[in-house]
Amino acid sequence: MDLRYTDAQRAFRDEARQWLAANLPTEPLPSFDTVEGFAAHRVWERTLHDGRWSAVSWPTEYGGRGAGYIEWLIFEEEYWRAGSPGRVNQNGIFLLGPTIMEVGTDEQKARFLPTMASSEIVWAQAWSEPDAGSDMAAISSRATLDGDHWVLNGSKIWASRAAFADWCFGMFRSDPTAERHRGLTFILCPLDAPGVTVRPIAQLDGEPGFAEIFFDDVRVPLDCTLGEVGGGWRVAMATAGFERGVSLRSPARFTTAADRLVALWRLHADPADTALADAVTDLWIRAQGYELHTYRTVTDIGDGKPIGAEASLNKIFWSELDLEIHALAMHLLGAHAELTGADGSATWVKSFLFSLSGPIYAGTNEIQRNIIADRVLNLPRGT
Amino acid sequence: MRFAFTEDQQAFADGLGDLLVGECPPAVVRAAWDDGSGHAPDLWARLGDLGLFSLLVPEADGGMGGGMVDAVLLIERLGAAATPGPVVEQLIAAPLLGGTPHAAAAMAGTTVLTATPTLDAPVPHAGMADVVVTDGALVTGSVATPVPSLDGGRQLATLTGGTTTPLDTGDLTDRMALAVAAQLVGVAASMVTLAADYARDRHQFGKPIGAFQAVKHHLADALGAVEFARAPVAQAAWSLDEGLSTAPADVSLARVLAATGAEQAARSALQVHGAIGYTWECDLHLWMKKVWALQAAWGDTSSHRRRVGRWLLAGDGPVTPDGDTLPSFERLR
Repeated sequence: MDLRYTDAQRAFRDEARQWLAANLPTEPLPSFDTVEGFAAHRVWERTLHDGRWSAVSWPTEYGGRGAGYIEWLIFEEEYWRAGSPGRVNQNGIFLLGPTIMEVGTDEQKARFLPTMASSEIVWAQAWSEPDAGSDMAAISSRATLDGDHWVLNGSKIWASRAAFADWCFGMFRSDPTAERHRGLTFILCPLDAPGVTVRPIAQLDGEPGFAEIFFDDVRVPLDCTLGEVGGGWRVAMATAGFERGVSLRSPARFTTAADRLVALWRLHADPADTALADAVTDLWIRAQGYELHTYRTVTDIGDGKPIGAEASLNKIFWSELDLEIHALAMHLLGAHAELTGADGSATWVKSFLFSLSGPIYAGTNEIQRNIIADRVLNLPRGT
Repeated sequence: MRFAFTEDQQAFADGLGDLLVGECPPAVVRAAWDDGSGHAPDLWARLGDLGLFSLLVPEADGGMGGGMVDAVLLIERLGAAATPGPVVEQLIAAPLLGGTPHAAAAMAGTTVLTATPTLDAPVPHAGMADVVVTDGALVTGSVATPVPSLDGGRQLATLTGGTTTPLDTGDLTDRMALAVAAQLVGVAASMVTLAADYARDRHQFGKPIGAFQAVKHHLADALGAVEFARAPVAQAAWSLDEGLSTAPADVSLARVLAATGAEQAARSALQVHGAIGYTWECDLHLWMKKVWALQAAWGDTSSHRRRVGRWLLAGDGPVTPDGDTLPSFERLR
């Protein structure tokens, strides 16, 4: 065990810090769930890419730095500490990208990864359907083979970023006769293809962070199939593993939020209120716990021990931690918490609203608990 | 940066774990409870033979020269077996006796040590201990009067008389606080395992109760509470070994997570067991009572949380006096 960063890792941190200081937008960008904000975030992603910071852990041939996971964690720490913009292409870079690297063909890697790293193409996820949320294997949108094309029909909902994104990924039922997990295929689809209709849905903050996507005889070439035909479930589980594990939510988000909570406590709290001080301290401790756990996990991954169903423990931990940090911040803000203008609390209120989605997205926490019980604790499956 | 135990450390812990499966089953723990001694003499001798008590003794004094990083995995295993007697106290305190007449016997386990933060309250394991180590002193030749104790494997006794000799005990308090945290991680992990085993066996409504989501979710949450304490315990051990200025805060951080996780695991395990878990006959209480008995050992959760809080919210913590935050991870540099 050696918890000191190497000289190279410190140099990497310094390089990231200096680059961010020199290149970060001077004014906060508008929300990426607005037309102008989406465009501004795409420009920012391009800037990140030009500095080769958009996908630091990816191989250099696809626009990354070939950096290790520890370096990726370091970059994330610097990124969130500096108050940098949210990642508009996170569905691509952190979820689909690693999945393509694992199961994609060489042709698919060359075709999709570089434009993903540069955000020339921004990706939306298309997991849920109106009748398939937690029960994802109930997917009924169809993919029918027609020569060298799939023909897609059906609809997806709660598709993050789909209102403005360029492509989406999701599962389609390619074999209606197969057992329900087996008849699914993972397909990538441009959102400007003929027959695609996108209906934006306003989220809790009033902005169209979601969309419903309708597919009416949408023709997609077969080379947009990721993994094997009928093998979509396994591919999706790989994606979900990245999502719930470490890639989507590095600890830096939460340690940064906890540090900011401490700063907020200093501004607003009565130090004589020891219960409040204890609550702030406790959340800060838990954020540190998540960070330390992640450093241990990425060391294991580097040693070739893959992250399995334990990833679900992470997802529950960070989502509940994030929600509690923001809920306490709302208490600390007091009467300011209902002011959503530019008087200083707007950022907290917006991130509080976002934190409420944590226990729901990427698989509800109830589903995560079932996964832990079934696959880690080996409890009998429910009926 | 490398956050992992070595293969040797893992192998030593696994070896100890295997030994405890054979030598420290619930029947042995119960025997130590039932005769009022809190002592398992045969097990004690085996652990001494294994060299456990020489782990932290410097090589120059004939020990293994290990550090807290080496120790915490072993202590987890001791907790996991609900090991009775002052095994952890002996392991942590033995290196402090170098240069005293007790050094060799303490390392072998033939002189029994216990450790306590204060002599003004009942001392755990004092009835079987030859030497009591406390902050800045060692005590010999006192008379121990047993007092009824919640955890029969941690029998308390009041001390009268005896000879007190000054002793440089260094960071004993932090080492013991961390040892308690490591023990609690092991205790909690065993309770989750016991409850999961029970949930597979016990049938109601025609199926194992572990098939019901209410039961699954209790145990999933308990497992999470345990797992997220492991890395902080390891990190605090490393901080102590490296003599970092943040070590006290790191110890307290680990102690808070381990103790709250263990309390949650105890409640969940009891709830999953139902009425049988509420009996003396069921082994679960051998672990649950250790959780409750250790809650206040070497500082309780509240005092450890406030020690982090004092460091965090005022003074030396990661927030500057003008309210600017310094990132948490600077601690790791």
